Amino acid sequence: MNRKRTALAVAAAGTATGVVGLVLIASPAGANEPPPALPPISSEALVQSVLDSKVPALSGAVALQNNLGLPVPGLPQSSGKEAFARVYSDGTGRARLSLGQGTAGERTIVHDNGTTWFWNSADRSVVKYTGGAEHESVEDKLADPATASRTFIEAIKQDSVVTVDGTARVANRPVYQLVLTPKPTERTLLREVRVSVDEATRLPLQVEVLANGQSEPALKLGFTEFSTGAQDASLFSFTPPAGAKVTEPEVGDKPTEKQRDDLFAALDLKVVGEGWDTVLTGKIPAGALDQQIPQGQGRGGVDITSVLKQLGKPVSGPFGTGYAISTNVGTALVTTDGRVAVGAVPQQVLVDALGQK
Amino acid sequence: MTGFSEQRAVAASAATAPPAARTRGLRKVYRGTVAVDNVDLEVPMGSVLGMLGPNGSGKTTTIRMLLGLVTPTAGEVELLGHKMPDGAALALPDVGALVEGPGFHPFLSGRENLMRFAAAEPLLATSAITTAVGEAIERVGLTKAANRRYRGYSLGMKQRLGLASALLVPRRFVVLDEPTNGLDPAGTREVRTVIADLHAAGTTVLVSSHLLAEVEATCTHVAVLNQGNVVAQGELAALLEAGSANLLVSTPETTLGLDALRERRIPARPVPDGLLVDLTASTAPAVVEVLVRAGVPVHEVRRQRTGLEDLFARLTEDSAVTELPDLDTLIPEEAR
Amino acid sequence: MTTTADLPATTTTSSRPRRAPLTRLLRSELRMVLRRPRTLIGLGLLGLVPVVIGIGIAIATSSSDGQPIGEGIAALVAGNGLLLPIFALVVALNMLLPLTGAMLAADALAGEASHGTLRGLLMAPVGRARLLAVKAFGVATVSLIAVTLMAVTGIITGTALLGGDGMLTSSGTSLSFVDGLGRVGLTVLLVTIQIWALAAIALAVSAYTEHPLIVVVVALGLVIVSGVLSVIPALDWLQPALITTSWESVADVIQDPLSWDPLVNGVLRAACYLVIGYSIALARTLTRDG
Repeated sequence: MNRKRTALAVAAAGTATGVVGLVLIASPAGANEPPPALPPISSEALVQSVLDSKVPALSGAVALQNNLGLPVPGLPQSSGKEAFARVYSDGTGRARLSLGQGTAGERTIVHDNGTTWFWNSADRSVVKYTGGAEHESVEDKLADPATASRTFIEAIKQDSVVTVDGTARVANRPVYQLVLTPKPTERTLLREVRVSVDEATRLPLQVEVLANGQSEPALKLGFTEFSTGAQDASLFSFTPPAGAKVTEPEVGDKPTEKQRDDLFAALDLKVVGEGWDTVLTGKIPAGALDQQIPQGQGRGGVDITSVLKQLGKPVSGPFGTGYAISTNVGTALVTTDGRVAVGAVPQQVLVDALGQK
Repeated sequence: MTGFSEQRAVAASAATAPPAARTRGLRKVYRGTVAVDNVDLEVPMGSVLGMLGPNGSGKTTTIRMLLGLVTPTAGEVELLGHKMPDGAALALPDVGALVEGPGFHPFLSGRENLMRFAAAEPLLATSAITTAVGEAIERVGLTKAANRRYRGYSLGMKQRLGLASALLVPRRFVVLDEPTNGLDPAGTREVRTVIADLHAAGTTVLVSSHLLAEVEATCTHVAVLNQGNVVAQGELAALLEAGSANLLVSTPETTLGLDALRERRIPARPVPDGLLVDLTASTAPAVVEVLVRAGVPVHEVRRQRTGLEDLFARLTEDSAVTELPDLDTLIPEEAR
Repeated sequence: MTTTADLPATTTTSSRPRRAPLTRLLRSELRMVLRRPRTLIGLGLLGLVPVVIGIGIAIATSSSDGQPIGEGIAALVAGNGLLLPIFALVVALNMLLPLTGAMLAADALAGEASHGTLRGLLMAPVGRARLLAVKAFGVATVSLIAVTLMAVTGIITGTALLGGDGMLTSSGTSLSFVDGLGRVGLTVLLVTIQIWALAAIALAVSAYTEHPLIVVVVALGLVIVSGVLSVIPALDWLQPALITTSWESVADVIQDPLSWDPLVNGVLRAACYLVIGYSIALARTLTRDG
């Protein structure tokens, strides 16, 4: 009987240890720590210090929690616990960005004094841009939370109430919580945008977008690891591996000003409204709706209209008929005659915007 | 091996020495089924104890509890002076056992299987393993088949290998659960020889069997189990001799026979198909002589079964024996 | 007790437990496991996996006109032979290696119990805790052998069939041959630890039954259920605790520079499963009826 009790104790103790360990692994670091005590700061001073901040030498891992309710091209569908990007900077403008993980293929972007290398492991291609041209996709920008939130703050300041809402920890570092709330007059789906500003470097370490009626952030982009300090110089240079296809787009390869203007004219892009309820309207070039979206090799394509039918629900109004695609943070409206309106707003605002024509 | 006088010494010391194994109020319940209940077993040091009982009587369960393989639901087990199962590490090195049939890896040869168990034997020095395995194989007569895979062994060869693993090192106590299962008559004889040798060397042996003849041939003591209970226990000779002084005579002429016997003052009484003659005051040849002279046709004469035989026959022949009310009449007090 | 005095050393009733030397037990266990036909067939098949994959990739590369032959790591393996062992291990970690680990654990306790050989060891006696340690050692060592074997055949097949100079990482950098070997070694280590974790759970199951098949079924069931749970978005919170979560991150070893966090996390997660598995297995082994 004694032995039975010993055995039971062994099983209980071991299982408890293992389960506690798993729970610790599952729970983000510092989740239960009290918020750090930091000197109080006014929202103006905090915003100013963010705008003045310089990116130091750093390395970090970035995670994205995408709770938009729709797959958005360019944004990985991620649970937000595992890092999807790693960022390195030497503090003088050279930087390295690594996207994706081993199983899924990896893309590496290296900014090295005016030369930008794009590596894609999926097809082992290297694209080399010289002349320091900015060719960052939405994804690349988002993957650098510093740039992302700075842009955000600048754009939204006039239409928002900006407050400092205490402190917290992000990537195990003490941060101020800067909260941008839309002014009551704004007709938007968003409740607030919460930016976590690193106390030491004044870099935004995390951006959370919270929508009305949602307790979890619809979008959460932030560092899960962040450390400053000199980085290995070899990180910021890139040598195309043997056997890789290296393309070096000439200036001629880029669309000329004229071409670009034509494209924009064709798209008929217009910004309606300002602030949180800004709506972007435009026109899809004729025929685009019937185009096939390539779906990776060997799988054929899907035409856009059928995708719309799948994602959106049919609506009709003064603008005619179309499909509305709603997500937690925004709405898009595509009419059957090819007009488009997009914004972080309820559907009615889009209808109004289309009507303003 | 050892001489007769030494055997005597063993028997004499058994009376005073602590028992090789002892159980007190042993009980084992498997999922609501009582396998063994209130078993008080005592294996005297130096004895060869035959554990008799029909299949399912709790022999193997009792042995498994003795060896610490199974934790009793209640009761105590003492093996070579150590409480089991906690004293297993102290007691078991001196105990060899063949329980529930031999267990070996089919893909290894007999020798390799023994090597594996020899490696686990605390009392074997690493350098002595090969020799010990060779000797054990020789002892059970498996030398020819030793390098064949166990998979291809006959039932008898498997049993011999099991016996060999129990005899890898000199033991103080050897437990053999149905050791002659599957053996041919020659094999059975060999097992008896092995048991006799062990006994002669002073090793205590516990043999379980469902055959009385086997126990009779090899054992000094016997314990009878039925439905999880010990129903008789003691020295074999005492149990066998108890209440055995009757002669059964088959004859159609019961009255004539009775008269002839009464004339000679030999007590007798009629039974179906014949007479039951009390032999306390006479001998079997004398009885037969009296009857034949009196012209009584004698078809068959045999001794009546002894208490042990009768008890065991009833246990094995009739598996539904649930009550044994006349146990006390079967086994005299001094034998129990 | 005059008679027993004639007996050899066995009569000395010491109060200290006597035990067979542990190394002797471990060697004997290993010899037995490596003689088991099932183990040998399993090891042989696992060793062939990288060879088959290597041949497949070689054929696919020669007929693909420079198009990538797959996604993720597969796209990188062509002409990058040192990546073949890593690719093969990552592929095998999905099913083949867990199956191997579960099989080893199943044979270790349930299989031996069904043959009646566990009883023989208990009666020797090998202490029950020691018995589990010996069994765990056998399972762990043969798992390591299986993974190492795959790595070795992978390296040989890769360099011979696919060629390549050093190792091209998924980050687009090139590692020297020695550094590449280091990455293969790291993969072997990480994969082995994950298999140990699964085998620990399987060993716990193995301690409860006499049917090896049940152990394999339960262990693979755990893998499959973990896999299913990990793709249900509503159960995101559960993901870091699932045994399969670490398996995906093993492929991160081909990044350059290495990001240690997910790898270390994976090892810690495996350690948790190890502790759970072995404590349950120990508790059961201590009380199990032999």
